Amino acid sequence: MRPFVRLGSTVGVLALVIAASACTKKEETPAGGASALTAAQVKVALVPGGAHPYFQPWKDAGGKAKTDFAFGDVTFNETAGWDQTKQNDVLTSLAAQGYNAFGIFGVAPESINSTFENLKKQGFHVGSLASCPAGDKNLADFCLSTDVQEAAYKAAKAAVEAMGGQGNLVHLTGNKVDSNTQRRIAGVSKAVDETGGKVKLLDTITDIDKDLQTAQKAVADLLAAKGSQVNAIVTTAYNPAVAAAGGVKQAKLPIKVIAIDDDPTIIAGIKAGEVAATVLQNPVGQAYVGSYALVKLSEGCTMATPGVIIDSGSFVVTTANVATYDADRQAKTDSLKSDFDSKYLTCAK
Amino acid sequence: MKQEDTTPEQPPPARLPLWANPRIGLVVLLIALIALFTTLRPAFLNTQLTLVPMQADISVYAVVGLSQLAVLSLGHMNMAVGRMAAMSAFASGLLHDRLDAPLILALAGGLAMGALLGALAGLIIAHTGVNSFVVTLALDFALIGLVSLLYATFTDGVAFNGLPAGMSALRTDTFADYCAGDVCGPEIPLLAPIALIAVLVVGLLFRWSRTGREVLMAGSNAKAAQLSGIPVRLRTIQAHALSGLLAGLAGFLLSANNGSFSAGVGDGFLLPSFLAPVLGGTLLVGGAVSVLGTVLGTAITQVIYKGLNLLQFQVDELKLYIGLVLLAALSLDRVRHVLAERRGVPA
Repeated sequence: MRPFVRLGSTVGVLALVIAASACTKKEETPAGGASALTAAQVKVALVPGGAHPYFQPWKDAGGKAKTDFAFGDVTFNETAGWDQTKQNDVLTSLAAQGYNAFGIFGVAPESINSTFENLKKQGFHVGSLASCPAGDKNLADFCLSTDVQEAAYKAAKAAVEAMGGQGNLVHLTGNKVDSNTQRRIAGVSKAVDETGGKVKLLDTITDIDKDLQTAQKAVADLLAAKGSQVNAIVTTAYNPAVAAAGGVKQAKLPIKVIAIDDDPTIIAGIKAGEVAATVLQNPVGQAYVGSYALVKLSEGCTMATPGVIIDSGSFVVTTANVATYDADRQAKTDSLKSDFDSKYLTCAK
Repeated sequence: MKQEDTTPEQPPPARLPLWANPRIGLVVLLIALIALFTTLRPAFLNTQLTLVPMQADISVYAVVGLSQLAVLSLGHMNMAVGRMAAMSAFASGLLHDRLDAPLILALAGGLAMGALLGALAGLIIAHTGVNSFVVTLALDFALIGLVSLLYATFTDGVAFNGLPAGMSALRTDTFADYCAGDVCGPEIPLLAPIALIAVLVVGLLFRWSRTGREVLMAGSNAKAAQLSGIPVRLRTIQAHALSGLLAGLAGFLLSANNGSFSAGVGDGFLLPSFLAPVLGGTLLVGGAVSVLGTVLGTAITQVIYKGLNLLQFQVDELKLYIGLVLLAALSLDRVRHVLAERRGVPA
């Protein structure tokens, strides 16, 4: 390197070091957007972690919430592509477009608190929907989600019952490096442990909720390799549930399938007696009541317990209640809304 | 950056006109895209919500691009770039979690892990002669399992709780938060200078250092390089170690940006790692790299992504338009290249 360049760089670095050492951190100013808004000024963004059938009811539920609670606007954006960095990008872009209240299903529960913190720092209200952050801290205003460990426990209990209290069980689920999957695995293990060894967890197959094809291939492989040994399959993710219901029906094996959610093929399977049970979640309630709470917070209400975790409900559906389950779910949604009014929110009269 | 011999009979090479310089083309394209998106959505110039997060993303993905560039210089590939980042983030997290290591030590541990993994890949490639694609793909598969196992063993889930002191500031602060008297710094995130140092070091390495030039020679023609006395095996290992080290740095920057050392770090690195260098003019066959081009390629990709996000395209449209804009960008560069060739200007 030329001597002048070397001299110049040294002087430059020295100047930077001297300037940096004279710096002090500016005091934090309180978030600017925290002042109360009117309902018409509230723009709610519902942002799932990526495209997935589970979230499709959010679109209509958000639209219904907008009509019922007369707030400014609602959008549904599923472009995050299951990448936390992209989801952060989507969220800041929506904020730049004027959206000021966010209902978020975080891609990475272990780092979503940082995203919530960033948004709240800018004065926005945030609800964690359908999934809570990992660990014991939730930095969103509230988390309205299925208690996934409890739902998986209920599903596994239903499976144990369907297989007559003994035999071999297989668990099909989603992304292994996701703390929600770890909670589901723990829920299933708990139910299996309670049988005192009568039910054996033959296999836990993860990472097959990416799309239906992946799940179908995994189910076909499982049935080909161990089909005769398996007495029941419990699924705690959407695509594996659809794939297991279809795969077992096609293979004509006497395996009891406990599904999750209410894809039309699963509900049809329950009606036909091919699927033993399914555990329903409440995506409509999450988006509808979540939007309501965000509007109330924007209008100046506060959370009685900031970061409170609220179970949005899970329901075991069998042939006995397949015709009436939606009424139960609607009732849960209504009770969630009144709970927000009476318990979770503190509003000035 | 290929050095070309000129014989006495040849006329001196024509001075490169500005329009024929590929980097200038990329700058023009970048400015045009920024102007386009700003016209369509003035919020594109929102400092807090657009410009600062975009700079942080560019910082992370420029280093991801450099990580791939380090082995593209040899005509090799690193398919394990994401998983090397994940392993580095794990090493940093473990050092902090178990030994309470401060930020600098956690970073150093992560970089060492990345460099070691890269060197291992380089060692296998150099000594077995197996294609780098195959070796790094196999390494990637092995590391997917290992990362998952390690997190399951050492954490209660898929991430370490807690970060070294100062790491949160890297995510949340800009230089504007630091003032000397009334004079505060610019709205540039604290991550940016770390990436800038990586860019400068890699740039200087390939431009000025003997090692860097020899790596390029080995990439251009390994046999000729070997016959000229260049230790090709050693250079292969070094280039892969550099790639691993940069992947580790990218993993650290992403962990800082997203707020945790987690198993998911690096999941989305593979495609951007190729996109930025290739868009910036680095050859897939080796022998020529463009560090500045890689930075510009990253910036263009992030600007397109941010702009399309602001236009609120839905998921399928977004992918379609990203593909179309990138195709248009590459085609424009090709047109510029052909025009330059016709006029006898090397571009």
